[in-house]
Amino acid sequence: MADFMLNYGGVVMGAFGAALAVLLSGIGSARGVGMVGESSTALMIEQPEKFGKSLVLQLLPGTQGLYGFVIALLALGQLTANMSLSQGMFIFMSCLPIAIGGWTSAVFQGRVAVSGVNLLAKNDEQATKGIIYAVMVETYALLAFVISLILLNAVSF
Amino acid sequence: MQMAIVKMSKFNLLVFNSDRENLLHELQKFNYVHFLDLKEDESLEDYDLNIVEVPESIVAVDEKIAKVRSAINTLSKYQKKETGLKAMQEGGETIEFTELEAKASKIDYETICGQVLELNSKMDELGQEIAKTNAEISELNPWVKLETPIKDLELFKQVEALLGTIPKKLRQNVENDLSTTEYTYFEVLSEDKDNLNVLLLIHRDELEKVRDILRSYSFSNTKINIEGDIATEIAKFEEEINQLKEMIFQNKGRLENLTEELSSLQIVYEYLMNVKLKLSASENFLKTDNINVIEGYIPTDMREEFTQVVKDSLNNLYYLELEEADKDDENVPILLKNSKFSRSFQSITQMYALPNYNEIDPTPLLAPFYSFFFGMMVADLGYGLLLFMATAFVLRVFNLTEEQKDTIRFFYYHSIFTILWGLIYGSFFSFTLPIQILDSATQYNQVLIISIVFGIIHIYFGLGVNGYMSLRDGRPLDALFDVGFWYMALTGGIILLLSAATSLIPEGVATVSKYVMIVGMVGIVLTGGRSSSNIGGRLAGGLYELYGISSYVGDFVSYSRLMALGLSGGFIASAINDMVFMLFDLGIIGIIFGVIIFIIGQSFNLFLSLLSAYVHSIRLAYVEFFGKFYEGGGKAFKFLRSKPKYISIK
Repeated sequence: MADFMLNYGGVVMGAFGAALAVLLSGIGSARGVGMVGESSTALMIEQPEKFGKSLVLQLLPGTQGLYGFVIALLALGQLTANMSLSQGMFIFMSCLPIAIGGWTSAVFQGRVAVSGVNLLAKNDEQATKGIIYAVMVETYALLAFVISLILLNAVSF
Repeated sequence: MQMAIVKMSKFNLLVFNSDRENLLHELQKFNYVHFLDLKEDESLEDYDLNIVEVPESIVAVDEKIAKVRSAINTLSKYQKKETGLKAMQEGGETIEFTELEAKASKIDYETICGQVLELNSKMDELGQEIAKTNAEISELNPWVKLETPIKDLELFKQVEALLGTIPKKLRQNVENDLSTTEYTYFEVLSEDKDNLNVLLLIHRDELEKVRDILRSYSFSNTKINIEGDIATEIAKFEEEINQLKEMIFQNKGRLENLTEELSSLQIVYEYLMNVKLKLSASENFLKTDNINVIEGYIPTDMREEFTQVVKDSLNNLYYLELEEADKDDENVPILLKNSKFSRSFQSITQMYALPNYNEIDPTPLLAPFYSFFFGMMVADLGYGLLLFMATAFVLRVFNLTEEQKDTIRFFYYHSIFTILWGLIYGSFFSFTLPIQILDSATQYNQVLIISIVFGIIHIYFGLGVNGYMSLRDGRPLDALFDVGFWYMALTGGIILLLSAATSLIPEGVATVSKYVMIVGMVGIVLTGGRSSSNIGGRLAGGLYELYGISSYVGDFVSYSRLMALGLSGGFIASAINDMVFMLFDLGIIGIIFGVIIFIIGQSFNLFLSLLSAYVHSIRLAYVEFFGKFYEGGGKAFKFLRSKPKYISIK
């Protein structure tokens, strides 16, 4: 086992990191988008004309998944079969910010967006404010993304 | 070209009760009048004035509006629509406000609405009638095999005829039991999901026995309330349905003919909405037995026109006072007037809050930054060109209202900056162009630094506006305390940090900036709490103010989104391109799918990039920029004409 880790541990850990970046942020986005989708569907019963705005609200928590996807692509680009364990661990760590930050921020953003759908249902004209509230949450996903990105390229092995 | 909050003048007007209607009628043509609600003015409470009330007439107008609206809604269902593009090209009808009343009064809308609503309720009735008849037919349908007229079933002397249903699953048992009888005929006429519909002819001698059998198998008797034979009856009902359908068709034709009147009804609707607004405007006034007290605001550059309108409509029997609105009066309504470029950004300002009358209109200040940042976040030549062509096409070809034009222009301006940033990053649908000033995919550290530099410029500019307002209002010390010291503390701090991190800064400069920073910080601590009355409070306030420096750090970092969004959009687009190239290697089918994926994927990414850029630019404007100088909270100017819904009115 120790031999295996020494020989292949690097690429395994690197791939694990890339997988987590997509997986966790994707899980968060899926939950967020799903929540907003459910409440928007209820809105369509009475007010189908608000479809456009509700779609914008639904999309907002979806971006974290895309940030995770981008980081995973960049991490994949650095994988080689015989990379060292420390390099693989480094890639793994670099993926953590967007994986975890993206995950939780997407869920919370989804919750704000659901309130945004309530706002849209009751007061159409103010709905853009609901969108802006939801965007406030996204700042932290963006920060996580920036740090993951910088980390990935910060050290050359 | 004026770029600011429109200057207002306050007016006090006393008129005779009897002249009120005429005055309002003329003022509505003038439109630029905002009435103050005097019911809320406490200084007038002691004068024993009454509220002007016109509830009956408002209710009457409301009823008319409801009628016209429901007629319009009904008719638009029957209107043959022109295709979207052509309709957009032609746009709505435009008429002069002064013609509106004359036009509306010529239209006999009561009759039209009456006809429409009557036809509509007739249609409903006919629909119900058909449903009822259909139900009757489906009740008869199971017995259609019975060819005898129903009334003949009662004519038998020796035999009793019975119609009814039996549960399907008991069929075998019933048949077995009935086979023990001698003179009973049993026939299944039809069956549905659960039941058999049966006919029984029973000799009177066996009646009791058969009834017992039937009872034990949950037979239920069916009465049919017709006399003739069933097929004929069904045919009759079907004939009825055909007639009803014919009537519906005729009514539909009539309604379709009436859609010609739709535009007339829309004119009437706009007219009535204006009448309603005019009536409810008078609820802002107070009155004595004979005199109405009216107060409100008009744009200062329209004073003469306003005076003229008042004079003409009141035959010189009035008292009018006009004065420049006080700068700090919080009742002054806000009307923004901007250049064509800035005007399209007014919606962003309005969404936050209109400025107070003593502030400045932030729209022209935020507009260039907003567009620049928007471009940096989308940053693709291809996307920019697409957006440019789409918006230019719409502006050129379609007949839009001014408001719609502003919205389209908003994105038209962004497309130019998107193209600019696309060229800087050398990105065309994420394909690398031969000339590339900055490669965002590899030089993102530089892009990050540039983003934060833009942030510093943006924030310094916001602080500068704050200082300008203090200077303008004759408070130079406030400008020094709230802005000057911050400039010193921030600039000194930034240079000091740079000198620690890099070797770019000469030592002398670093030392100077250290002292500049210290002076700034001490200044902030000493002056930040100056609104407090005691020493302790002042010092605590000053320290708290200095603690605000941490939020500046947050503000600067927040601009990293300029780089992050541009980058993530670019990476997603290039991932799509990679997939497309992989498909291209698979031969002709791969190429077809590749093209489809390219179009769908890039459109999705374009939409997402535009959406992100739109909302994140708003965030930078609201939180980082407005936070430095802008308060907002002004009331919007209420015009005396209602906003048209169906047609454009000049």
